Amino acid sequence: MSILDVNKLGVIYKPAGQHVQALEDVSFSLTAGETLGIIGESGSGKTTLALALMGLLGKKEQLEGKVVYAGAELLSLEESRRHTYRWKHIAMVFQNSLEVLNPVLNVGEQVAEPLARHLDLKGRELEARVEELLYLVGLERSWKTAYPHQLSGGMRQRVLLAMALSCRPELLLVDEPTTSLDPIARREIVELLESLQREYGFSLVLISHDLACISRLTRRLLVLYGGRIVEAGLTEEIVEDPLHPYTRGLINASPNYFAFRDLWGIPGEPAGGGAAGCAFASRCVQSQEGCHAETPALQHLSPSRQVACRRGGIMTMLAASGLCKEYHLKKRTLKAVNGIDLEVKHGEVLGLVGETGSGKSTVAQILGRMVKPSAGQIIFQGKPFNGELTRREKGIQLVMQDPFASTSHRFTVEQTLREPLEINKVGGREERQERVLETLTRVQLPADDKFLNRYCFELSGGQRQRLAIARALVMKPALLLADEITSMLDPSTQANLMRLLKGLQNEEGFAMLFITHDLDLARKIADRIMVMQYGAVVEQGSSHRIFTQPCCCHTKDLLAAAFGHSH
Amino acid sequence: MKNKGLRIAEYLVTLLVIVTMNFFLPRLMPGDPFLHLSGDAGQEIVTFTKEQQEYFAAYYGLDRPLPEQYFRYLTGLTRGDLGFSYYYKDDVAAIILRRLPWTLLMVTAATLLSLILGIVLGSYSAWRRESWQDKATYLFMIIFSEIPAFLLGIMFLTLFAAALGLFPLSGGMTHFAGYTGWEKVKDILHHAALPVITLSLARSGGIFLLVRNTLTTVLGKDYMLTARAKGLTKRRIRYRHAMKNALLPLVTRVALQLGGMVGGAVLVENVFAYPGLGRLMRDAVFVRDYPLLQGIFLVLAFGVLAANLLADLFYRTLDPRTREGELHGKQEPDNGEQEGSSHVLA
Repeated sequence: MSILDVNKLGVIYKPAGQHVQALEDVSFSLTAGETLGIIGESGSGKTTLALALMGLLGKKEQLEGKVVYAGAELLSLEESRRHTYRWKHIAMVFQNSLEVLNPVLNVGEQVAEPLARHLDLKGRELEARVEELLYLVGLERSWKTAYPHQLSGGMRQRVLLAMALSCRPELLLVDEPTTSLDPIARREIVELLESLQREYGFSLVLISHDLACISRLTRRLLVLYGGRIVEAGLTEEIVEDPLHPYTRGLINASPNYFAFRDLWGIPGEPAGGGAAGCAFASRCVQSQEGCHAETPALQHLSPSRQVACRRGGIMTMLAASGLCKEYHLKKRTLKAVNGIDLEVKHGEVLGLVGETGSGKSTVAQILGRMVKPSAGQIIFQGKPFNGELTRREKGIQLVMQDPFASTSHRFTVEQTLREPLEINKVGGREERQERVLETLTRVQLPADDKFLNRYCFELSGGQRQRLAIARALVMKPALLLADEITSMLDPSTQANLMRLLKGLQNEEGFAMLFITHDLDLARKIADRIMVMQYGAVVEQGSSHRIFTQPCCCHTKDLLAAAFGHSH
Repeated sequence: MKNKGLRIAEYLVTLLVIVTMNFFLPRLMPGDPFLHLSGDAGQEIVTFTKEQQEYFAAYYGLDRPLPEQYFRYLTGLTRGDLGFSYYYKDDVAAIILRRLPWTLLMVTAATLLSLILGIVLGSYSAWRRESWQDKATYLFMIIFSEIPAFLLGIMFLTLFAAALGLFPLSGGMTHFAGYTGWEKVKDILHHAALPVITLSLARSGGIFLLVRNTLTTVLGKDYMLTARAKGLTKRRIRYRHAMKNALLPLVTRVALQLGGMVGGAVLVENVFAYPGLGRLMRDAVFVRDYPLLQGIFLVLAFGVLAANLLADLFYRTLDPRTREGELHGKQEPDNGEQEGSSHVLA
């Protein structure tokens, strides 16, 4: 049975005649003992939501919708009646700051206050309960007489927790319990919250940036952006497989979740709520014009998952099923690729790893239409795979291992880059020239006449590989196939090239199938990993999961070989 | 955090500077104590002959070089000897002691009254910030605190004493009435009412502004939201959580204001012909009674300084953040006012 029902909750701040929609159309419910996480960037409305649930908004703010707690609608309640719900039924652990506790009152008094007010405890009984609470959160009773400025951040967090639990609330809101704490204090607080929740069985709403803390403590998850829920579902599933581009961006930006990868934030500034259209559209790599016009509603994509996206969440760029490639040798048939299913999503980097000869490159060749698959079906951007689709702009481009072989040494730089545009009859003369120069700049090669007229054989390996990438990017591909593109480069050139490529990818949002046998590199760049062996996929999943909790033996072998220790 | 020794040394140096200024200031005034030894302003003036003036100068030691006079003044002070009044022909300490209670009464009463007025109106304003009540109170307080105390005193004197006859025109009590006990107290309060009200009104503006501002700041703090979330009673939120924080800076403010308060008292006493130190000072200036002037200055300055020191120490025990000898002090209080600076007579 649900104890909290939030229905179309909206909060509008009105500072000096302005109209700031801090929350809009937020609906969810919570059953007794359930745990719910809320994530989102600063300003996405997380704290506003908590304050609204506490009934602390409404004086200067305009509230819409309903918050029903155990049958009582809180928002329309008289202030005097609302008092009785605060702390006794719904308590909150505020975000830890120097001034979250009153500086001139001691810890004991601040913990005791709600007990005296709501439970009418007095004298010895009150004292005993305060000491019991401090003990519960792991503080010695002598801290009772301490003042807030004498506490460390971790101790202050414990006091806040003791204070919030004092009246045994049925619903506990916790705002950023682990930010501003060191790793040890952080772990202790998370463990404390976990054991207290188990012991007391209160429902928990946890607001945090800390994905590790969220995944450990919550079962369900809401993702807020611009005051609206953009994704909702089970925490474990969302973190493993986010379906909204914003959620994916958030997860990719979390250092505590993606320990090995380079950090890439979501480009652009968070938008405020209230405007028409999807608030995330201006930062979204798959947005269309329609996205700016109409606000997407939260829809079920699966029984346990809701996403608010006009395009149905992160789109699938390419889906292949039952892909096979057989080579008929004289006496036997070699199955290079033996029935694999593969999915590349919009704007993601899929790392395809495996030993030499596992069939990785054959997959790239099939997808690059260089060899025909013996069997299987490929859907690219929702349509059956054919040359028309992949060759044109926003199609598929391939960058290969050896730049000396993949770009003609008899061409000048300009000819190399112009050729695909000419073949595909893209734009006029001037536009082509512009595209060539622009692409050269993007891959950080000089865009002057002198360089344009140089022949490819005059270039160094790193320059030539960048030229190969530029040749692919000049067609503005939606999917870039990168087959061992750095294996012939020295580490420094490789580092520069990878940063460049990932930066371009983060900015422009093309998807990338990154094929490599170098696990270090894959770990640094890929969002998802597919492991191949003997022409088949043996394991796939988020980069975080594969590298921290591999299931398949072969993956474990590979990791052990690459990183020198077993996982 | 400064240590105690340094702080005491600071006060000692301040005291020495004040004593020195006390000595030299009266002597910088034009004129001489023996130009006229008797006679009030406007009355007949008895002039001394040259021989008489020299005789008196030698008698009181004024013919000696200044450094020697200064040294004798200092040694006298260490013995608790404030000197002998040229004009009143009496011990300076005794004269001051006779007048001190009146000034003490006025300054204490005015301080208390201005505090009450400032706190009540300041918190009223802060809780209704931006409303018309707040704006009206603000305007009223600013106007009254901007009018000089003596001008306000003259206005009150003409209105309430002269025109309406509600209060006596001058003095500290009715002489020769033979009041005793309760009657006497009532008489003294009746006389003190106008001067005290004048002084309080003139000084409460600063307190009002301070309370209004600090309370507004406090109301926006995180811990106020915490207190509200805990579902505490309005009274507890206001008085235990907000006021305790907001009133801390007042302790130092009141001490710092004491200098201004004493300065105001001197002027107000003269307007109401109140028999306190202020009026005595004016008389002493008139007749260039160096020892008496020095004595009055010294007593007033010492009083203000002592109040500052007291506030300093008091604040330390009041604000847990500055209390010493505990686990670990992490931060300074956010109002930098408690550093001991002293306002001497304005």
